Amino acid sequence: MRRGRSKSKFVGMRLSEEQSRVLSRLQQNSNRSKSEILLRGLELLSEYYSLGLDQLPLNLELRNLEAEAIHHAEALRQIRKKEEAIGQMVQELGNVDKIIDKYRGSKKALIQILLDIQAQNHWLPKPALMWVSERLGVSWSQIYHIATFYKAFSLTPRGRYMVQVCLGTACQVRGAPRLLEKVMDVLNIKPGETDQEQRFTLTTVNCLGCCALGPVMVVDGDYYGNPSAEQIKQTVVSCE
Amino acid sequence: MARLGSPTVLEKLRQKILARVNGKTIISITNGTDGRTRYSQAVFQAFVEEIEKQGLGGKVEVKSTGCHGFCEKEPIVLVLPEEICYIGVKPEDVSKIVSETLVGGKIVEGLLYKDPATGQKITKESEIPFYKYQNRTVLGNNRFIGMESIEDYIALGGYSALAKALFEMKPEQVLSEVKDANLRGRGGGGFPVGIKWETTRNAPGEPKYVIVNADEGDPGAYMDRSLLEGNPHSVLEGLIIGAYAIGSHEGFIYVRQEYPLAVQNITMAIEQAREYGLLGENILGSGFNFDVQIHRGAGAFVSGESSALMTAIEGRVGEPRPKYIRTAVSGIEEKPSNLNNVETWANVPLIINSGADWYKSIGTEGSKGTKIFSLVGKVSNTGLVEVPMGMTLREVIYDIGGGIPGGKKFKAVQTGGPSGGCIPESFLDLPVDFDELTKAGSMMGSGGLIVMDEDTCMVDVARYFTDFLSQESCGKCVPCREGLRQMLNILDNICDGKGKEGDIELLEELSEVMRDAALCALGTTAPNPVLSTIKYFRDEYEAHIKEKRCPARVCRELITYYILPDRCQACLICARDCPTGAITGGKGLVHVIDQEKCTKCGACFEVCPLRFDAVVKLSGESVPPPVPSGTKVTRRR
Repeated sequence: MRRGRSKSKFVGMRLSEEQSRVLSRLQQNSNRSKSEILLRGLELLSEYYSLGLDQLPLNLELRNLEAEAIHHAEALRQIRKKEEAIGQMVQELGNVDKIIDKYRGSKKALIQILLDIQAQNHWLPKPALMWVSERLGVSWSQIYHIATFYKAFSLTPRGRYMVQVCLGTACQVRGAPRLLEKVMDVLNIKPGETDQEQRFTLTTVNCLGCCALGPVMVVDGDYYGNPSAEQIKQTVVSCE
Repeated sequence: MARLGSPTVLEKLRQKILARVNGKTIISITNGTDGRTRYSQAVFQAFVEEIEKQGLGGKVEVKSTGCHGFCEKEPIVLVLPEEICYIGVKPEDVSKIVSETLVGGKIVEGLLYKDPATGQKITKESEIPFYKYQNRTVLGNNRFIGMESIEDYIALGGYSALAKALFEMKPEQVLSEVKDANLRGRGGGGFPVGIKWETTRNAPGEPKYVIVNADEGDPGAYMDRSLLEGNPHSVLEGLIIGAYAIGSHEGFIYVRQEYPLAVQNITMAIEQAREYGLLGENILGSGFNFDVQIHRGAGAFVSGESSALMTAIEGRVGEPRPKYIRTAVSGIEEKPSNLNNVETWANVPLIINSGADWYKSIGTEGSKGTKIFSLVGKVSNTGLVEVPMGMTLREVIYDIGGGIPGGKKFKAVQTGGPSGGCIPESFLDLPVDFDELTKAGSMMGSGGLIVMDEDTCMVDVARYFTDFLSQESCGKCVPCREGLRQMLNILDNICDGKGKEGDIELLEELSEVMRDAALCALGTTAPNPVLSTIKYFRDEYEAHIKEKRCPARVCRELITYYILPDRCQACLICARDCPTGAITGGKGLVHVIDQEKCTKCGACFEVCPLRFDAVVKLSGESVPPPVPSGTKVTRRR
């Protein structure tokens, strides 16, 4: 420890010159430790307050303390929130890690990796893509190129239920455009959109290979052959 | 399961399996993707439980199989060996089938197929007209194979072609057998498979790759999915034989992720084959090594093109590249790569087992063997049909497909997917093979046959395909990207009644440029739907442009909905269903459409009861003035 430098702090409190002089005198005279002096001081102070000798400063002090406490609590809450978000992201990226490891981190497997991430989240969150870019050593632009090129990928969150209308040729000649119109009417969204409550995402597909049923609507893996407007409504209502 | 170390061990296993199933009744349930859309999974479960309940476990085997082809009537339950075929089976029918047919030996009449022509009920599968005229050498085994069972495939003689190739033939002999059989690629182009194999075999560079193209993107075609779901081992066996002939030790199966069940079944098949020693190191003890990986496609039509597909396998965006050098010479990572379609690979074991001479006995001069078509659209028996090459369109559509439903008139059949064309009625007696279809201005493609009736507008069909292709064009080359956009613009205008004189000629000119200048097959064949419809249905184009009339009454801007006052029975149904409230007229009063409010959605046309048939579509004729409001209906008896 360096000597020769006067201490200007007492238990975390900044002291004026006058105060530090009083303090060192007290310490010398009474031969007590700093904390003992402090405890004694607090005792005196509480006596002083309990006698009601100075009401106003006490309230003021309490208010200050309260404000300080609130401030700290808020800061703490922010930190916890960030911690939680980081924890969640770590977990998510952990899942991404598992997927990447499944393909032994091969650059060739990039599309397969993105497909698995899409299947897990129903969309491709940006941090996940950045992590894939980092781990595989593939440029961010190449990942973006792939994610926007293929229909299977979505860069925005999708609803809890996927509604698909088949626009394959067989469905088309059996009246798929009209079916799509009906579905759009009921859900009040266009193809590619998600409703505000994040319940449904409507997409169109080019042939699901169940042409005997056409025109076909699929809601969360259940197939409906040429449903009427009424049936569509019922199906949508039964989803929640 | 210990790896099979030799062909003898494989044969012993086959005998063991056959002994196990000998004398048992087999229940075969169609449980592929199309069956599952109609609760076939529940039917399968019900059979398993009912058989257990009735204590028939030792005598009966229940198989969950892929599609048998007759999708229109699925779920289908086939009782073997008697070949009793029950159609449209529901879970509640199961206990009846078990107690009456399996225990009592009687037939459940209510579930049999009824021939609409004669009204007769048909018990045996092979006598149903839909199946009677087919020759199901490739697809037929689906009904005998549990989707997840390698042993069912082995029992049918599976992997014996592989054993034959590895132990009795040199790679050159396998190659010349396939060449001699004149097997042509089933994916669309019809390129001779043997020549392609030979090119890859002789091309410099190692390793060589073999690839299964299961990126079946043509809307309306799903035979590849059915094969991968229902009989994945046949594809795998063909691939291994091909790899042996070419000298490849690494393969890929590129399959669309839109086909989850196919991905699942082929994945399982690969694992099983590895376990049985039919894939991996030292296959069947022959010293030949080969293994295969699955690559799922993420949904892009253009990625089914060979060079695009190979780029995607490398983990990059699946866009085509100029093919001055064929992929057979320079494909994946610039190594020789042989790509064939699912159905092509599935034909290979048949050729090796039965020989090129047998194969050549089926089909026409230039196209040998059978072809699986998916017969869809406005046809009574939707499904997958496998017929010898050279059968006429009329036989396929009328004898097998049962003709057009609802007494409507046939207009055209679209073949070859978005790269193909529309073939009119006058060509119905055309024998279907690679060359004849090309001559007619269409192509075989992957084998989609989409039947269209008089209610289909051919300009709208051309617009539909052009729209599809313009969305799927990767945008790399200008003729395809811009050409399609301009063609779509013109077609949109024609359909909206804004067509101009000269539009048809402009479409033809654009088509010519695309044909000559586009980079890949998507672009060069993209004008086919437009050109073939112009060629055969020019009058429809002209009606749209000159008379502002849509003869099929499809194009929205050119039609008007009208309620015939003398037919309207004031049932209020159309008024209730009209989304814009354009229909007026109360109880007992003739309903009238307010043309100002009408959005031409067609809801009234759909809901008007058939017995009244009061709502009609008019096109190119003036709409009669509305009857005065308050006109009473003419009651009909």
